[in-house]
Amino acid sequence: MSAGEDLERWGGAAAWSAGAELTPMQTLLWRAERHPVQSSTTTVVIDLDRAPDWKRFVAATEWGTGLVRRLRQRVVDPVVPTAPPTWADDPTFDLGYHLRRERVSSREEMLAQAAQVALRPFDRSRPLWEGVLYEGVPVEGGEGAAYVLKIHHALADPLGTVQLLSMLQSGRRAHTARKPLGDEVAAPVGVDGVELAVAGLRADVSTLPDLARTSVRTLGHAAVRPQAVVASALRYGASVRRLLTQTARPSPQLSPRTGKRWTFLTFEAPLAPLRAVARQGGGTLDDAAVAMVLGGLRRYHARRGSDVRELPVGVRVSLDRADDLGNRFAQALISGPLSIEDPVDRVAAVRGEVLSLHTERALEVLDAAAPVVNRMPAFVGASALRTAVPPDAFVLTLPGPPRQRFMAGAEVQGMYVLGPLPGAALTVCLVTVGDTACIGVNVDASAVADLRSLEECLAEGVEELTSAGG
Amino acid sequence: MSGLSAAAQEAIEAIEAGPQGPTVGAFFDLDGTLVAGYTAATFYGDRLKGRDVSPAEFLRTVVTAVDGELGGDPTRIAHVAFSAMRGESEEAFADLGERLFRSKIAGTIRRESRALVMAHQRAGHTVAVASAATKYQIAPVARDLGVEHLVCTQLVVEDGQFTGATDGPMLWGRHKASGVRAFAREHGVDLADSYAYGNGYEDVAFLSSVGHPTALNPHRDLRAAAARLGWPVLDLSDPVGGSLVAAGRTVAALAGMNTGVVAGLAYGLARRDAHEGRNLAVRLATSLPMALAGVEVDVQNRERLWTHRPAIFVANHQSALDIPVLGNLLERDFTIVAKKEARWDPRTFVGSLVIDPAWIDRSDSASARATLDGVVERIHGGTSLMIFPEGTRSATPVLGPFRKGAFHLAAQAGVPVVPIVLRNTGELMRRSSLVLNPGVVDVCVLEPETDWSVDDMSERIAALHAKFEQTLARWPA
Repeated sequence: MSAGEDLERWGGAAAWSAGAELTPMQTLLWRAERHPVQSSTTTVVIDLDRAPDWKRFVAATEWGTGLVRRLRQRVVDPVVPTAPPTWADDPTFDLGYHLRRERVSSREEMLAQAAQVALRPFDRSRPLWEGVLYEGVPVEGGEGAAYVLKIHHALADPLGTVQLLSMLQSGRRAHTARKPLGDEVAAPVGVDGVELAVAGLRADVSTLPDLARTSVRTLGHAAVRPQAVVASALRYGASVRRLLTQTARPSPQLSPRTGKRWTFLTFEAPLAPLRAVARQGGGTLDDAAVAMVLGGLRRYHARRGSDVRELPVGVRVSLDRADDLGNRFAQALISGPLSIEDPVDRVAAVRGEVLSLHTERALEVLDAAAPVVNRMPAFVGASALRTAVPPDAFVLTLPGPPRQRFMAGAEVQGMYVLGPLPGAALTVCLVTVGDTACIGVNVDASAVADLRSLEECLAEGVEELTSAGG
Repeated sequence: MSGLSAAAQEAIEAIEAGPQGPTVGAFFDLDGTLVAGYTAATFYGDRLKGRDVSPAEFLRTVVTAVDGELGGDPTRIAHVAFSAMRGESEEAFADLGERLFRSKIAGTIRRESRALVMAHQRAGHTVAVASAATKYQIAPVARDLGVEHLVCTQLVVEDGQFTGATDGPMLWGRHKASGVRAFAREHGVDLADSYAYGNGYEDVAFLSSVGHPTALNPHRDLRAAAARLGWPVLDLSDPVGGSLVAAGRTVAALAGMNTGVVAGLAYGLARRDAHEGRNLAVRLATSLPMALAGVEVDVQNRERLWTHRPAIFVANHQSALDIPVLGNLLERDFTIVAKKEARWDPRTFVGSLVIDPAWIDRSDSASARATLDGVVERIHGGTSLMIFPEGTRSATPVLGPFRKGAFHLAAQAGVPVVPIVLRNTGELMRRSSLVLNPGVVDVCVLEPETDWSVDDMSERIAALHAKFEQTLARWPA
């Protein structure tokens, strides 16, 4: 691993997250947040082969926050929602508030503590992240560590979090002297809420003539061709209705959900057989991940004597191309089959469900509605996010670092993303780390009668897929 | 040239260039893919006409259909229909399927879809119709296309009657996809190499289960999805329906035919030469109406129509248009064989004056033989004979079996047989339709065959039949 490659990647990290304003979708999540039930927090658990030197670790983090300014910035809200919230440097930034270390005696204890960290709400007036280094985690032949990073969705979504972390980690165990720094410390911008609101209002007023013109044009169009407009509106409405209502009912085995008792589980699997199963079923790694979770839930339901045949699963759909490329994604629900025994057939069925979403013109409905919803009081946004049937499980696949990585001299052994539980009983994130799939599962413990059994079943589901492709 | 569109031709070439054999599957949706429109609508229309439908059932159907369009469950409409069928006889329903196929649905099979099916059949692929429809809708179409396998919704039948329930799910959306995957497992079909054709927005799961999906004349939402998923889209032409303009031209054509006949016969009377008069009448009666209706003829090997006269011309028969087209091709000195019963039929009376057919009395075999002797004599006198060896018109372009009569005559008279293949007359003028649509008729005259004898007649007829089929399947460029 050349140091040059590291430098290049770090240069990229400095340019990360350039925009000052929150995007409409980030704004919606920011305003609608009701932690932890409607939370936007992502937690990353990084297994390390040894405890890094604490001083070096703090220095590295200090450097990282200098490189990626966002980590030293806070969100400033306008007093009335005329403008989107804005990022501004936090003049009171203190690394000591955000980074600390603890000692644990087992990995389970670390995961339990990580869940507690994740459940506590952020101080919304400070930079939106928190890191804890857990020392004393036993590993083969000694003592390892785990770094738990909790990050707000407004700062980075799970995909961005993993990207950011992979960018900041080093390709070498040794220290790199003369690491690049971000731009010279920009003067903390003294943005306040009143100014923001006024500026937003001024912008709104200046765009009013344009807005009026557009509205008149739209109305004129509707008056001339009422049939076309009505037909198009009906089709859009039908699509919204299908997306919101035409999936399986939530499973009674995964309720009642409170969203207040998070339990973190982790699994790992070799990537090659998972990709092989995906290929056999004509699908992608995402489809295989969904099929894997369904395999686990299928076993759990069988053990509980339940005859649920399908359940709603939340997936991420690329709006650009089907094959996981592109930058625009929509969250949507599919009916995940529980009745299919053959894992390859299950992958194919999931593939069909996911691709079928592409016929829905309303797939982007939440994205499209976000700017409008954002001008309304926060509870409107909160309920907009709740309108859909909540899925039983969210399943997400994220590309992690392709090669070996180090943090302050400790080797990264695994990287698990534990997503929030916005109404779901489980959130599953599969991160590809080198040739391994690191699977992090956040479970709403109040919704699951037998947590141990669920863990066993999910492990069997992972095993089923890896052996089918092996 | 009214051959296949460039896109369809390209798709067929890709099939020919791809892997061959039965492990490759080709799955065709029915409604909107193989046939234009919805077969279920045809069935329901028939039900409405027969007043089998109570106002309550009708209302329920309409409300369910509208709800399905507006984002409700689109399969509920079918279940409403199925439950209304409770107590009906399966046999009667199957008969209805056959009847509706002949009268309506056969004419809606897309020519280029048929060409795709045949391309897959030539490649030895395992071809199946995969549809949410029932086998009563699909079976006649599949049989006509020579497709053996159906993957479709099954209705429960007890004591020969429908119970109103389905056996398993309705094969719509995800269920069609899983039906196809189960079929592939049972028949050893490799889906990654296989093909699927569908048109509905619900067909995405079905299409995505194969390696080579094609959105065929897709519904608006499937078209959008196909663009996003990078799937090929194929737009095939629909069978021509009778437009008002076409109807008007047909009337003009009929008028032209009569004018031609009268003019020709008048010429014959004036010149006191009935023979020449008849020849002129045929020319006018066939070329005038075709010109008026906008029908052109594209003939391959036209010279073979003249090199072996007198001869027995044999052609395949799909449409009432075949007769004027052949009359136009043969031009002069020919006649046809007709049933004696048809002699005074007012619809053919004028035509028979012109063409002076050889009448056969089928009820009296002695007289029939005598007539045939007379026919042989006429042949020796220089008059060629035009015969449709299939005997009747077929509902679709599929070739029926050949009868032997024409070939016996050829042996008896010692004249050659000139085979004429007509491609798309059935499309321009559907069976049981009175409307003639404008277009180009493709005609191919095959190599004339001489020296017919009773000894090897069956084999030679079979070989000729095969040549017709080959020519229809792969039209010579």
